[in-house]
Amino acid sequence: MNGPLIVQSDKTLLLEVDHEQADACRRAIAPFAELERAPEHIHTYRVTPLGLWNARAAGHDAEQVVDALVQYSRYPVPHALLVDVAETMDRYGRLTLSKHPAHGLVLTTTDRPVLEEILRSKRITPLVGARLDPDTVVVHPSERGQIKQTLLKLGWPAEDLAGYVDGEAHPIELAEDGWALRPYQKQAVENFWHGGSGVVVLPCGAGKTLVGAGSMAQAKSTTLILVTNTVSARQWKHELVKRTSLTEEEIGEYSGTKKEIRPVTIATYQVLTTRRKGVYPHLELFDSRDWGLIVYDEVHLLPAPVFKFTADLQARRRLGLTATLVREDGRESDVFSLIGPKRFDAPWKEIEAQGYIAPADCVEVRVNLTDSERLAYATAEQEEKYRFCATTATKRKVTEALVKRFAGQQILVIGQYIDQLDELGEHLGAPVIKGETSNAQREKLFDAFREGEISVLVVSKVANFSIDLPEATVAIQVSGTFGSRQEEAQRLGRVLRPKADGHQAHFYSVVARDTIDQDFAAHRQRFLAEQGYAYRIVDADELLAES
Amino acid sequence: MSNPAVPPRSLAEALRARDDDSLAALLRARPDLITPVPTDLTQLATRAGTRASVVRALERLDLFALRTAEALAVAADPAPYAELEQLLTGDAGDPAVSAALPRSLGTLREQALVWGDDDRLRLVRTARELLAPSPQHPSPTGLGPTVQEATAGMSPGRVQEIVTAAGLGSTHDAVSAVASLTALFTDRKRMSALLADLPEESRAVLSRLVWGPPYGQVTSEPAAHLRRLLDLGLLVPTAPGTVVLPREVALHLRGGRAHREVEPLPPAVEAAATHRPQVVDATAAGQAYTALATVEELLKDWDEGGPAVLRAGGLSVRDLKRTAVALDVSEPVAAFWVELAYAAGLLASDGEADERYAATPAHDEWLEQPPARRWARLAEAWLTATRTSGLVGGRDAKDRTLSALGPGLDRGAAPEVRHRVLTLLAGLPEGASPSAESVLARLRWERPQRREEDLRSRLAEWTLKEAELLGVTGRGALSGHGRALLGATAPKTRDAVSRGAGDERHGQTLPGTTAPKTPDAVSRGTGDERHGQALPGTTAPKTPDAVSQGPGDKLPVHHRPAPAVAEPLSPAEQATASAAAARLLAPLLPEPLDHVLLQADLTAVAPGPLRRPLAEVLDVLADVESKGGATVYRFTPGSVRRALDAGQSASDLHAFLAAHSRTPVPQPLTYLIDDVARRHGHLRVGAASSYVRCDDDALLNEILADKRAAGLRLRRLAPTVLAAQADPASLLEGLRAMGFAPAAESAEGDVLITRAHAHRTPPRSAPEPVPDGPPVPDATLLAAAIRAVRAGDLASTTPRKQGDRPPLSTGELPRTGAAETLATMQAAVLTGEALWIGYVNAEGAASQRVIAPVRVEGGFVTAYDHTADEVRTYPLHRITGVAELAGD
Repeated sequence: MNGPLIVQSDKTLLLEVDHEQADACRRAIAPFAELERAPEHIHTYRVTPLGLWNARAAGHDAEQVVDALVQYSRYPVPHALLVDVAETMDRYGRLTLSKHPAHGLVLTTTDRPVLEEILRSKRITPLVGARLDPDTVVVHPSERGQIKQTLLKLGWPAEDLAGYVDGEAHPIELAEDGWALRPYQKQAVENFWHGGSGVVVLPCGAGKTLVGAGSMAQAKSTTLILVTNTVSARQWKHELVKRTSLTEEEIGEYSGTKKEIRPVTIATYQVLTTRRKGVYPHLELFDSRDWGLIVYDEVHLLPAPVFKFTADLQARRRLGLTATLVREDGRESDVFSLIGPKRFDAPWKEIEAQGYIAPADCVEVRVNLTDSERLAYATAEQEEKYRFCATTATKRKVTEALVKRFAGQQILVIGQYIDQLDELGEHLGAPVIKGETSNAQREKLFDAFREGEISVLVVSKVANFSIDLPEATVAIQVSGTFGSRQEEAQRLGRVLRPKADGHQAHFYSVVARDTIDQDFAAHRQRFLAEQGYAYRIVDADELLAES
Repeated sequence: MSNPAVPPRSLAEALRARDDDSLAALLRARPDLITPVPTDLTQLATRAGTRASVVRALERLDLFALRTAEALAVAADPAPYAELEQLLTGDAGDPAVSAALPRSLGTLREQALVWGDDDRLRLVRTARELLAPSPQHPSPTGLGPTVQEATAGMSPGRVQEIVTAAGLGSTHDAVSAVASLTALFTDRKRMSALLADLPEESRAVLSRLVWGPPYGQVTSEPAAHLRRLLDLGLLVPTAPGTVVLPREVALHLRGGRAHREVEPLPPAVEAAATHRPQVVDATAAGQAYTALATVEELLKDWDEGGPAVLRAGGLSVRDLKRTAVALDVSEPVAAFWVELAYAAGLLASDGEADERYAATPAHDEWLEQPPARRWARLAEAWLTATRTSGLVGGRDAKDRTLSALGPGLDRGAAPEVRHRVLTLLAGLPEGASPSAESVLARLRWERPQRREEDLRSRLAEWTLKEAELLGVTGRGALSGHGRALLGATAPKTRDAVSRGAGDERHGQTLPGTTAPKTPDAVSRGTGDERHGQALPGTTAPKTPDAVSQGPGDKLPVHHRPAPAVAEPLSPAEQATASAAAARLLAPLLPEPLDHVLLQADLTAVAPGPLRRPLAEVLDVLADVESKGGATVYRFTPGSVRRALDAGQSASDLHAFLAAHSRTPVPQPLTYLIDDVARRHGHLRVGAASSYVRCDDDALLNEILADKRAAGLRLRRLAPTVLAAQADPASLLEGLRAMGFAPAAESAEGDVLITRAHAHRTPPRSAPEPVPDGPPVPDATLLAAAIRAVRAGDLASTTPRKQGDRPPLSTGELPRTGAAETLATMQAAVLTGEALWIGYVNAEGAASQRVIAPVRVEGGFVTAYDHTADEVRTYPLHRITGVAELAGD
């Protein structure tokens, strides 16, 4: 009765990390409980139906879950909660999707009333065909994704045992010359391959691309990689050429500018979701080759139409990569049913402790608005308020002071508003990368930054995703997309890549005091604070006085 | 005491022969007999025979005792022991029943429902009336009347015919004929032969009636196979079209058994699952802690004035819903907690004009107690309360919704059922949780329900659920502290209960063994043993010893130790038991902590219950985010502001957190508190009734310095503004009195010019004219009036037929006798003639009318009334008389 775990009535689990059994306990509960917050002393896990089904999908049963709870719990676990866990887990696997030699895809049940119940649902009826016997019903192969999605909504998630097509074979090997997959990356690849399809959750900078590459080497087949934007596509290509046996010629780019289809094709979400006259002209990409593996980069940003396409791709192996399953639109359950259950995750701090990502010092700098600015802020239109306080002139002074302090290090200044960025670029004498900057220009600037020719770069939100700036050690955020939590995580990720010299990374967020800027900042930071990245808060005056 | 050799002749005598212990046992079982205390045993016997008392006693019998009484009610009066036994065991015999019978008969004797020695067992008359079959009250046995009773109304000739048909010699009188018929029916061999001769259909008819109800319908011309049964007296007509199967025939067909099933032994309570006792105790303790937390939370929620009391008493459905949401439980469970707090005296109505529920002073004392004691108080209140929260949401007899805390929730049986259910759980080995069905089956056996819609089973179900909620049980099994709450330590309780569960088995298997029994049990054991000796078999003649004193004669009274069904404890005993339970529970409850863990994401985690002062401050300083074994608090600007509003300063808060955090206080939290404190109180808000404004500071100084201004209660807000508590008019007056010349200002700051206002009413409409006389009639009304007048005229002026009576003078009402009136009316209906009547209406006003009767029935005449020109109905008794109209 002195375990590290406390089970709360709202089905959260509190894990005391300093407890001697904490590691063992974490391993026991990780399969079924979602890590929600990981601040310094007590980590919060949440037991959700999705998590319990994830665990079932990974081969754990209710008894293991109950045992883990009972074994590590400090206080008696409410009986009702245990019963609920068992009942919830019992719902998974009553229905299975499998291949029938004669009828193609069939839905089978081990519990007839369940099948009766779901067949009565109006949403299921159009997806199924003839009833073969009391326990089996034919499913239209094209509705494999749709039916999984619907069944999950009805609370009877189906186990998908229908298998995958192998796709067109293509030799891919990892070229491990002078480097090797890290243990957790290997584990992630293994878990994914064993599970068939699913999502791997790793912090930014933890090498998600390599998990992708590892999976491709495992699949040895043609692969379609979906990424957020062109820069990211180029980086994937670059990384794949470097880390695998693939050559430039084997990798195609399918974007707004190029339409290459090769054994490994990297496409952007944007080109896929382009709509002309009500149709998606680039959809045929999915059918253009017999893909054996589809990789979704940054699953948490997956646009809604891609979910729809994905529903039709259920026979192909799918790998989702992300830093966080938190979606601002709350479509986590679609990720579960269409891409697959979570196959691997590791808390940021743990990977940081292993030395694979850089430790970071996060500081929020609070600037005071001047009296005239305060008056202007008070009278500003509601929709203008954020812009007004986010671009206050005082922020410029603070940014300049910070740039001066870290002179000689690679510094990124990140912001939302172009005017503000242009002005900052001018004052700092640094180039600005924004939406209108051409891709060629962007890459040139990135290269220069990488080489150390430029030490300060001002970027807008176009740089939010997937750009790799290995030597950035300081990031200064002057404004953000309102309260977006995942944007904050991504931006912090910019400085988390391990530094050659083991330098500590710095992340500064400059915030206007007593305004909605501060409220948004608090909302954004909460996610990181919950990941264990505590913010210090300093006053701008102090900071200016120091420098 | 009296001489046992002389058999008693009445219940009073039987009672007189009983010793004090045995009388005490009677009075304990039937406490209604001593309120008020009877003057002598005769009166006691009389009272024991009253219907209400007997009904009450019968209702409290267990199934087998009741079956015994029912069997006795269909046996001869008085009945020998052997007959009773045969009725219960059947011809084939049933050792289990035979073994159990002495106990059940003992119970009946003890409760003075049966008296007399074993040769002449008598069921008290009232009980016999209640249990014996009659056409109105079919017996639970499904038996009909005896041949003698059934043939009571039959002609002697018919009886002789039956006797002859059955192949018996005719007798001189009906009584002996019935006797010989009865003898035939009770003789198994002859009866079997008689039945064997019957056609198949006849036997089928009998078998339909054999287990009751014994009554059947026949047509006036019964078919041959029925005819045969009637001829033989196997069916006896009771009323036209109805026949009954005589008791003796049914008993023969049943193999001598009065009941289809007897169930001499109580069904065992079965363990559905067994957990380790430690697990059970820990789970129960965890739930006990939750129970405390929930009740505390409930009362905290209602701390500043709970929900209003409904006019009819109780909590509104909406308030119950809100409470359920606040406690994060379902509504029935919320009702349980509310009722529990009420039963424990922790909350009550405040009795104000605007009546609300609130915590009682006892609640504050309760909070001061250690957790285990607090729990014991709740558990004790629950165990002994007659209020039952399970009824909440249901409807009472008048179809009113029963609301929580409202009237109509008391059920007298509740404490006893709760205690009994827990005692049954205590009878299982430690850690075993029973199946609910087996508990319910057992309870039903112990107290078969006849009248109510099985309230006891519902009570028992609620008990099982509530015991789990309260932490008396854990995972369905009784916990250690739950056992203690019942007033016994674990092993002793178990022994007592196994005795309760199967004390008859002691008689069977352990007669006189030296099994560990309480002294009481041993003496009872010997009693049972004697039964065992005296009754080795059903048919064997009694041993000489038992002839005069049969098994039941030895009133097993003082040998009945603790009653088989353990009774709830007395208040004093319960208090001791609760204290014992609290002692057992105390080490299982988590120790309150004096520290929390502060984290950089602005949360604080209390990894267990907190000491009260710490919890109280934290409750103000932070919002609770998650509850359970631990509590997660979140600091927000709002919560910190709340703490500052409560009078804490920023440095207090820093000191508090530093003192109670086991980890360093995170910088963002320190910053948050300072940041909120920086802005706290920056803006000040207050109330003033009026103000004085002046650009000249000096003038305001002067006013403030003036003594006469004291009454205006002025306060300087700014150099040029004074706030006053006096209203603007008084302020103006005051300042003028002081020699100033102030001007009033409107809300917009303009100078108000005062001038007299014209006084106006609210909108009013002009008065309606009130005319002096009635309005002028319109044409329709006039026509109707004229027609009425003409008809009246016709009535008074039409010449009437002159009968042999003297002619009536005009205006005089016709007078005829009632019979003549009726006859004349009926004649008029046939002929369609109009009549002239005198009529007195309900107010007593007399009138003459001309009517043409249409129908005469039920004391009313329906007629076309020429006077009123419509069809009307007149009560005949109001018609004074009738006269025919003279022919045209």
